Parts: sequence; C-alpha cells; structure tokens
Amino acid sequence: MSKEAQLSIAERDFILEALREDVRLDGRQPDQFRPMDITFGEEYGHVKLQLGKTSLIVRISAEVTKPREERPFDGLFNINMELSSMGSPAWENGRSNDLEASATNTLDRVIRHSNALDTESLCIIKGVSCWSIRADVHVIDYDGNLTDAACIAIMTGLQHFRRPDAVVKDGRVIVYGVEERVPVALNITHKPLSITFNTFNDSKHVIVDATLKEEQASEGDLVIGINSAGELCYMSKIEGSPINPMVIVNKTSVAWDKVKELNLIIDKVLRTDLAKRAKVGMADESRAENDRLVATE
Amino acid sequence: MVGPTTSLSQLNRADGSASYKCPATGYNILGAVNAPVELPGRRDALKPEEATVEVFVKPGTTTAGVGERYVEGILRSVLGKVVLGREKGFPRRGVVLTLAIVGGENIERGDSYLTILPALLHAGLLAMMSASVPLSMTFAATLLCVTKSGDIVRDPSPTAAKAAVSLHVFAISSKSHLLLNESEGRFDFDTWELARQHALSICQGASDSSDGDVSMSEGKDGSLNGFIREAVEDQIYSDYAYKLDSI
Amino acid sequence: MSTPLVLLPSDEVPRDHLPANNSNPLRLGPGLRILSQPSSKSADSKHVLTATQAGLLTTDAKKNTVSLLSFPNRRYIPTVNDFVIAQIHHSSADFFHCMVTPHTAHALLGQLSFEGASKKTRPMLKQGELVYARVLSVGVGAGAEVELTCVSPSTGKAEGGMGPLAGGMVFDISTGMAGRLIRANSSSAETDEIEGLVVLSELGKKLESSGGFELAVGRNGKVWVNCSDSEENAIRATVAIGRCLQETDQKNLHPHDQKKLVTKILREMKLA
Repeated sequence: MSKEAQLSIAERDFILEALREDVRLDGRQPDQFRPMDITFGEEYGHVKLQLGKTSLIVRISAEVTKPREERPFDGLFNINMELSSMGSPAWENGRSNDLEASATNTLDRVIRHSNALDTESLCIIKGVSCWSIRADVHVIDYDGNLTDAACIAIMTGLQHFRRPDAVVKDGRVIVYGVEERVPVALNITHKPLSITFNTFNDSKHVIVDATLKEEQASEGDLVIGINSAGELCYMSKIEGSPINPMVIVNKTSVAWDKVKELNLIIDKVLRTDLAKRAKVGMADESRAENDRLVATE
Repeated sequence: MVGPTTSLSQLNRADGSASYKCPATGYNILGAVNAPVELPGRRDALKPEEATVEVFVKPGTTTAGVGERYVEGILRSVLGKVVLGREKGFPRRGVVLTLAIVGGENIERGDSYLTILPALLHAGLLAMMSASVPLSMTFAATLLCVTKSGDIVRDPSPTAAKAAVSLHVFAISSKSHLLLNESEGRFDFDTWELARQHALSICQGASDSSDGDVSMSEGKDGSLNGFIREAVEDQIYSDYAYKLDSI
Repeated sequence: MSTPLVLLPSDEVPRDHLPANNSNPLRLGPGLRILSQPSSKSADSKHVLTATQAGLLTTDAKKNTVSLLSFPNRRYIPTVNDFVIAQIHHSSADFFHCMVTPHTAHALLGQLSFEGASKKTRPMLKQGELVYARVLSVGVGAGAEVELTCVSPSTGKAEGGMGPLAGGMVFDISTGMAGRLIRANSSSAETDEIEGLVVLSELGKKLESSGGFELAVGRNGKVWVNCSDSEENAIRATVAIGRCLQETDQKNLHPHDQKKLVTKILREMKLA
C-alpha cells in the first residue's frame, strides 16, 4: 500500500504524446500553475491551500523553550510533515515514506537553511529561553506537487502568524496572552519558494506544477528554490534522466518569474485577511467599550 | 449557543470524508476514510471473517503521543461496534479512519482527552457514512461537565473543562442505545444518572427534560442525532440533485 | 415515483415505498439488508428492510427492485456482471492478476477468458495494459477472490466491447458518475438527457464531423476514451472529452451548464 498505483501504459503514452503537442490533461500551458486558493482559519498562522486537487493545511505554533547549547542566541524553528492516509490511500498511517523524507528535506533547505525566518529574533534570554516555532503540514488531498504547495503554505503561514508578546522582567520571562497585548509578527528575512519542474521526452518537454499522473509519467524532476529578489537558495536534480544544462539556466528564470507571481498572490491574500481581522478587532473593541458603558450606568 | 457545523465528502483522494466543527469547544476535525482496502504487512493480525477498523488521530500542532493512542482505542471500539464488517467486500479488509485536528487548542500533556472525543466521534461517523461503509446504526455523542456547584454544563470550553469536578462523554445511538460511557473525576451514581439523562435529551431531543438551558439550534427536533441526519440528507440531496430535478 | 426519501443506517424502509408488484420476488440492491424481528403480539414473523448505508431510496416497479443510492465518491466494490476497466499487474500460468481499484487485492482474469482464445492464440498482455472486462464472480466467504472475464459466459463472445483496450486514454471519475454513464448508455429513451447527463450526446454531436470517439465506462470509476479516427485532432479531442466528463462529475453540473462546458472546452482546445 505504501506506493501509489502504477500508471497504465495507455496513460503514460498518452501524457507523453500529448506533451509533444504541448497539451496537458487539464488544458494548462507548460509553465502554468493550477488555480490556487489560499484561505485562513480563525487562529493566526492557520493556512489552507488548495492547488488544483492538491490540498493541505499548515498550522504555525509557538512555545517558549530552552535554546540549543551550541546556539544560545538562536530560537528554534521546525517543519513537521507527516503524511497520513487522509492525503492518499497509498500512504500508511504512522509510517514515513520516501516522498515524506524528500519533501521535508527540500522544505528544510529552501525555508529553514536559507534563514527565511530569522531565528535570532526568537531569542528571549541568551542560553536560557527562546521561542520555538513549529510549522505542521497536514496534507489532506494529494494530486502532485507536494513540495511547492507545502512551501507556499508554510511561507504564507509564517507571514500570517503572530506569536504572543513576551518580556523579561527581573530575569523572568512573562508571556502575555493575546488579549493582553497585541501579538507580534515573525521576522521574515526573505521569501523563498520552491518551484518543481518535471521533464519528459529526453527533457524536451518541461512543465511546472505537475499533477500526480504527470509526476508518474515524468522521467525526472528539477527543484529550484529562489526568492523574489532572484537569489537562488536551493537546487536539486537528485534522480531521473539527465537534463541539458541550458534547460536548467532557462528554467531558473522561469522559476524566478513564478516565485514573483506567487509572492504577489500571497501578499494580496495576507493583506485582505489582516484588514478583515483589523475590522473585526475594532468592532470587538467598540462593543467591549459599549458593554463597559452599560455596566457603569 | 451556536450549533456545530459539518460538511461531507470534500476530499478527492479519500473514499469518504467529513469535517466537524464545534464552536463551543473550539475543535475542528477533518476525517477521512479509506475502505475497503488492503492492510499491508498485517495479514496475520486480521480477523478472517470481518473488516478491521483502524483509527489514526493526528494532532494539529504537536506530534502524536499517548493521549492520541488512548482516544484511538476508544474510537476503534465504538466504531468497530457499529461497522458491519461482514458485508460484501469487507471481510479481511481494512477500514482506515484518519482524523486530523485542524482547529482548536492543543491538548496539553496530562489534560483530559475527553473534551475532544465527541467531535472526533462525529467526524469519524460522518466520514464513514461518506465512504458508504456499512453500519448497523448511527449515533451522536456529547460532552458534559459537572461544575463545583453541581451544575451540568454541555460542551464546556477547555478552561471550564479543566475546572470541572467530573467530565462525562456519552455516545447514544439513533435507537437510544448507550454506546459509550467515559467518565473522569469524582462523581456519585446519581450525578452520573442525571448526566446520562441529560445526554439522552441532547442526542435524542427527548422533550421530558425540564432544563431550560438545553436550547439548541441543531436538527429539526433540536437533537444531535437530528443534526447528523440533516447533514447527511443535505449532502445526498445535493449529490442527487439531477435525479430529484426530474421527479 | 413517490417523494424522495433519504435513509440512514438502521432506518427501516417504509412499506409504502416498496414496489407494489407482488408477482415477482423483491430484489434488494446494495445498502439494504433484511432483518427479522421477533414479534410477541402476532404469530407471523415480521421482516423489516433496513439500510446499512446512507443514501437515496430508489425503486424500480418493473424489475421489482429496491436499492439505495449512496454517496457517489465511494470506493468500488466488485459486483457480479459489472463492467470494469482493469489494469494488468502481472501474469501467472493461468491468470492475469489485475488491479480493479488501487490498494485492494488483485482480481483474476483467466488467460483463456478472451473471445476465441486458446493456448496458442491467447493475448499476451504486459504489465500496465488495460482490459475491458466483466466481473464473473466475487466468491463466497472470507478471502474469496474476484474473477473477471472478457467473454460473455453464455455466448462465448466478447459482447459490449470486452477485451484488451489498445491506445486511447483512461480518465478517473467517481463511481457514482460511472454508474450514471452506464445507466444513461443502456437506457432506451430517445431523449438527449438521461440521468441528468447531456455532456456525452453534446460531445458526440460536436465531434462527429471530426471523426467521433469510442468510449468504455468501467464501474470502478474509469472511462476509456479513444479518438484515433480524429487524426491530427485525436489528442486534443481526447483531452477535451476527459475534461468535460471530469468537470461535470466534480462540479455536479446541471444539464444546461454541461452544454456550456462542452462549448467552452472545445473552444479552448481549438476544436470548435
């Protein structure tokens, strides 16, 4: 069960044949992402991402903990992705698989190792206490391109999240509740995303945002992690057929365009949601004030 | 009081799915069922004559621990009782239920897991129905807490649940059988019986309860079982709209 | 037909919803079971029909059947006589082992269960090839194996297009949609709209001039489409048909919207 059902010969042949005519099964262009929908839950840092039929939920959480001994000035940041049989019947509950390992590794390198989240800003008292930020990825529907989808959702979540305010008083850490003090946004240094390319027909045809069937028919993949400024932070070509170096050069600029495009979408949904929250917050405040007035009368 | 909300069959890959959100306790659960499927590597452990129900609870912002294993056991026993595992296509196969806690606070280590149990049970049951797993009956579950002053409060918030003298979860079938009774804390039999009657009226909408605060906005008859029924009916009506239009 | 009735597990089928025709024995479809209730008041045994799944109760007075239409997204469970599209996984001395639904046990297809097949002329099917087959038996009891066949047991002929499927493309659809397509196809009604579906007849009209298409529907939620007669349009026509069927299924489109969808997609695929 730990493997997706194999593609039939008819499907594989058809997908390859169609790409020769630049046709994809859902009518998309080779460089086109599927329709993307980002929504937020009630809590900060709760993101639901729908990318075509791939769907996942990311929840960002924070707790105060002790920093690592070798890095007393750094807070902690971890990405946790456990694939359960909710996302695909091929994934067994409580058992990790290759996809989980490789996707987690890519996410770690693109987001964590590129220091997208400034972990030094998470330090509260040197060597004693710091924030530990955790991103939990719940894949609820899997139809290909897990890595890019998770990357978009985590980056959106990190920018949306607000951690409780904490101050040091007489050597003790006081964490204020969300009601007591306005919670604090995380310090994001840059906004990298991963773009996964799949290659077909001796790398003559290269597409982005492959569906599961396209991934299964593909001969290899190329993952590029890049930010809006065009700074490359990750590139991998782990397995599959070789790729012509010129393809990599060309696709790096495609990836940069895509990341700029996606980051614009993310900015827009973040702005809309935060504006909505501010409105609700103000309404709550005035209601609370009214209540107080009523109480004093 | 704002009633729970639910939706069915929203996932593509899973054979059946449902979400269940309880605003009073803040929990939002997403459930997915794959059935009947082959369970790899466990052939010796399978019962030859019937289906094996597997339950997996995935916490929202931590790694699963003993608390999750504990509720999984309860869920497996309740759902195992109502799944008709001998129906065609099910013997020796697996019914795999995955429940993800996608909204609400984390349950801290040492805190009671009973508070989340009704939401998990409802999401699980609805996902089972969405996957068309044969069942002998449906049920509804409720959480009641007994406060220091002896009041019985339905669906307490996590803070209220922590302060409670005792917590009770009852699952009651659509035919009024008591399917599950889990209690925690100190209580005497009279209190438990009172809580059970309370639960019965919440789940079944029995009118003999004189208690005024059981005002509900759920099903037609105000009961939780009625709410479950309406949720399922709504989904069926929308799935078969083409059939109903032509009548 | 009386008012639509949705049953939940353990609900009884009301007697007034059963077909009135008593000359034939009543046939029960999936999702229902018969329970006998001991009755203390009268001597006659009381039988009740109860639901085991949630679904819409449907009856057919002509065939004297009663069944429950449950959620269309469910997994396919092999049932005798159903047409399915199976994928060869491997072969052994006497059988091809086929996948009917992913992550379930393989179904068996006899190496000689093809029209005119003998030891020498049997088809040599490779892993990943597709066949259009019928469920021959599902066995009894635990651990029973599902057996498929590509010939009609009564005539020995490959009726209804059974046999290996060469070329073309398969698309995944819900099991509910597969059922609708099959019922619409077997219906003798002369109208365009059967089972709320006009998508196929609409596609048929619009693609007829460019060569038409071949279609095989498997109850296991698969549709095989072949447009090899459309020559240079073959790929785009196949994709268009697949997209129309999948979108009609996923969005549960009304017949009116199905027509619009066909027009939109054919234009997008440069076929109209």
